[in-house]
Amino acid sequence: MAEISARRRLLPPYLLSAPALLLYLGLFMAPLAMTLMLSFNSFDFYKGILPGFSFVNYLEVVTDEYFHEVFLRTFGISLAVTVLCALLGTPEAYILHRMRNPWKSLFMLAILGPLLISVVVRTLGWALLIGDSGVLNDALIGAGLIDEPIRLIFTTTGVIIALVHVLIPFMVLSVWASLQKLDPAVEQAGLSLGASQFTVLRRIVVPQVMPGVLSGSLIVFALTASAFATPAILGGRRLKVVATTAYDEYLNTLNWPLGAAIAVLLLIANVIIIATYNKVIEKKYAQAFQ
Amino acid sequence: MSFLRLEGLVKRYGDFTAVDNVELSVEKGEFVSLLGPSGCGKTTTLQMIAGFEVPTQGRVIIDGKDMTDVKASQRGIGIVFQSYALFPHMPVAANVSFGLEMRKVSKEERKRRVMQTLELVHLQDFAQRFPRELSGGQRQRVALARALVIEPEVLLLDEPLSALDAKIREDMQIELRSIQQKVGTTTILVTHDQSEAMSMSDRVAVMNEGRLVQVGAPYDAYEFPEDLFVSNFLGKTNLLEGKVTARNGGEVKVRIGEAELEARDVDGSIDGRVNVSVRPEKLHLTTPQDGALQGRVLTRIFLGNHWVYQVQSPIGRLLVTQQNTGQDSAREGEEVGISWSVDGIRVLAAEADHG
Repeated sequence: MAEISARRRLLPPYLLSAPALLLYLGLFMAPLAMTLMLSFNSFDFYKGILPGFSFVNYLEVVTDEYFHEVFLRTFGISLAVTVLCALLGTPEAYILHRMRNPWKSLFMLAILGPLLISVVVRTLGWALLIGDSGVLNDALIGAGLIDEPIRLIFTTTGVIIALVHVLIPFMVLSVWASLQKLDPAVEQAGLSLGASQFTVLRRIVVPQVMPGVLSGSLIVFALTASAFATPAILGGRRLKVVATTAYDEYLNTLNWPLGAAIAVLLLIANVIIIATYNKVIEKKYAQAFQ
Repeated sequence: MSFLRLEGLVKRYGDFTAVDNVELSVEKGEFVSLLGPSGCGKTTTLQMIAGFEVPTQGRVIIDGKDMTDVKASQRGIGIVFQSYALFPHMPVAANVSFGLEMRKVSKEERKRRVMQTLELVHLQDFAQRFPRELSGGQRQRVALARALVIEPEVLLLDEPLSALDAKIREDMQIELRSIQQKVGTTTILVTHDQSEAMSMSDRVAVMNEGRLVQVGAPYDAYEFPEDLFVSNFLGKTNLLEGKVTARNGGEVKVRIGEAELEARDVDGSIDGRVNVSVRPEKLHLTTPQDGALQGRVLTRIFLGNHWVYQVQSPIGRLLVTQQNTGQDSAREGEEVGISWSVDGIRVLAAEADHG
């Protein structure tokens, strides 16, 4: 009797979450599992995909220096974008936090703006802006400041600039959320104890919003590492990152198993980095915040 | 010469005047409360003393030095905030040490003074705890230690006890007062709680609508309120409208409804329409025959050490408190008499505009 009622009590939660669970299983887990299986197949240039189970694709990625370069570049860009977003986004969020309406809402909209525009359109806009005969170079040459156009498009720098612009809202929002929890009197307390405004920021505000900065960093890092449209358009044919490489294997070489292996490796690398990072943060901040 | 002086302090936000011409002198070592309802300008006044708000007009003078244009970080004022505003990412000792660090005090000296101050607030065993591991009362004491360790010229307390439970609040009132007397720091307390202000301070400064209404020792302000607002805000009172009908030297007769009662007129200024204020504890319940007025008990509430009655009388509903003497008291519906001494009656001019 007791067992039946216990089972009855357990059933409704499962039933209620079933639709979402099915959606998740069908639309996310299934393709992921299929990609994983695909990555163990092999490929022949004339015969196409050959069924079977081998690590040949993984071996290729792990041993080929070309892929090393692609992976290193991807994580290099991710790291640079994350650091820049943290350095720019944290003060940005703080300034926004201190602003009054209507300026606050206006600037909030400006910061969130990039998220409202299609990533392709926005990136093409950057191409127009930083291209060799783009607005920026034309203006600088016209002003007589430079003779040769500064090469930004199809460079790592160009990709990083555009990605920072795209991803900084995530950092700002994350830090903003931490700032909301900050007691405004804490800053006054610091000032009254003789600290300068800068010291108050460094010693009192920043440490308290650090969890926000760190979680924002996680989001920015993960999104940069898997970013596709921006590096594809601004990086051009030669500046490859992992996502564009996988895309090329799928659609140009038609080597789906290799593309799948690259995708799986990116996922694994991302998960390892993020999980490690999270562990370190939790350890560091467990005592003061919870 | 007084130690802290506010001279004609005014703060306007657009058309709204938050603080209107506040003049206050505080002696060295004195404990003064700024008391008033929310929105009366007491916190804005405190913020101007602290240097977080710039006065529209007027000056803040501490120990003879004009501090009006001095930055908050240079004023050397200790503040205890309503929310405590402890630094949550630092242990207690680091919180307390922060102000000394800013003053470039040597490490050994810092350590010594931090422990000394933590001992003063009985928290010496909690130095390595983080604020979130402490109770409300303990956080309060950390905040006090952090403000006192820098040996401030002036200590500002912004509603420091309002976040505490009633029982702890009473204990903290006593402790705060004894610590203040021990270290002798000139202290300004901002509060809306009249009992807190009266129990802790040497003088209370009652504020209403941006202005200082009355400044005086707690007993004087309570017993001799200068206007309706003060008599109403400091403790409970029965306010009755009346008219002066006769005058005899220092005494006047005031007609209230059907009844007439006597009152003292100290400076001879009372005439015409007046307000009469009688504190509930100045009224006594008697047998109907012995009372100057007769009435009927509507409700009674037992509060442990005393009873509170609401009595219907010819001059209106009166609040009466009686000590719990252990004898059975008048019950609801019972006919009673009410008596009082002429010294317990305050007559206030019926101002057209007060505040």
